[in-house]
Amino acid sequence: MKILRATAVAFERDGTDLIAPFSLSLEAGARGEVVQPNARAASIAARICAAIVRPSHGAVYVGEFETRLQPPQAKRLVGFVDAGGFDGDLHALRCEIAFRADVWNLDVAAAQVRAAEILAVLGDGAYARAIALALVAEVALVVLDQPTERFIARTRRLVPQAGIVNTAVGAPERIAGRQLLAAAR
Amino acid sequence: MNEFRATIAIVRRHLDRRFAIDWAMEFGIVAAIAYVFTHTFAHPLFPLGIASVLAAASTAERSHAESLRRVTFFAMPLYGRQLARAHAVPPALLSLAIPSGYALGAFARTHVFPADLLGAMVCAALVATLVALSAIFRDGARAWLYVVLAALAGIATTLPFALQSHDGFAVSLALGAVAGFAALRAFGETLARYDPLPG
Repeated sequence: MKILRATAVAFERDGTDLIAPFSLSLEAGARGEVVQPNARAASIAARICAAIVRPSHGAVYVGEFETRLQPPQAKRLVGFVDAGGFDGDLHALRCEIAFRADVWNLDVAAAQVRAAEILAVLGDGAYARAIALALVAEVALVVLDQPTERFIARTRRLVPQAGIVNTAVGAPERIAGRQLLAAAR
Repeated sequence: MNEFRATIAIVRRHLDRRFAIDWAMEFGIVAAIAYVFTHTFAHPLFPLGIASVLAAASTAERSHAESLRRVTFFAMPLYGRQLARAHAVPPALLSLAIPSGYALGAFARTHVFPADLLGAMVCAALVATLVALSAIFRDGARAWLYVVLAALAGIATTLPFALQSHDGFAVSLALGAVAGFAALRAFGETLARYDPLPG
């Protein structure tokens, strides 16, 4: 089952292209990568895949939901991890988990336990905490904005059935090749 | 998805220590202004104007705007209108500090403050707040235009009361309800169309 389909996605503001156009098709349990020329473009691409930002051109489907038309339904399937991670302390993290549990309508205690289990696998740190927050709810797609390989591998161990898409910053000649490769997987 | 639970969670997140300090500061400053200038501002148009302008300006304040623009809120599986309702409650509560402070300051000076003037000030402050919410997700001149529009909308809806026309208070409340509803819908549309880009 396809969990993410991004077709000829581009994003522009005031006539300027802010990302390198990309296409990506991802099965459940598979991994894809979107390479962009700079960190800001990578973050925008990650947000497009997570249904947070609407593409200017092309279409993105998360599961069967088109992100421009049905963003809440698409977002419900996605765990999004921002490049900056979560830089709050442990108390702030607990508050954030409780907040997410309320918004996603989860049991708060179970969410706290789940986050602790995830952090036991990932180790501590801002990015690990952000992944724990993203995986508090059951998700079918995890979007990691500019992670290290270590976090990608450990996230895979945590959610073997979910699709994982990550962004990376690379030279322009790498972009087309890697995206084609990811699309072919 | 339990929509009410999500709304309460977002509202609770905004009602922190900083919110309490802001509320108390607005209340105190407006009370002091009212105490000093209550005889100067004898015509109802003055307190209504003060309520509208301060409510519009405080809603569009930049640090508050930055907190609402965080990507966390846009990653949540909610429609723009749901997010708009949740985001509108704390500024609406904050705006109530203005009429309350003014009423207290004026009452302390003159030992009288008409209840219908307090009601009209609440109406003006709420309308200005709801219109000004849309300024949060705009930048530069467009944001400032929304603040000006918000202040004018607050004053305009309570003009029938200020001009002491027949049934002016009821007409002002009715206009306020319509303007507030339209502003909240517009804010929902703004949120639905907003793309939170990284800095």
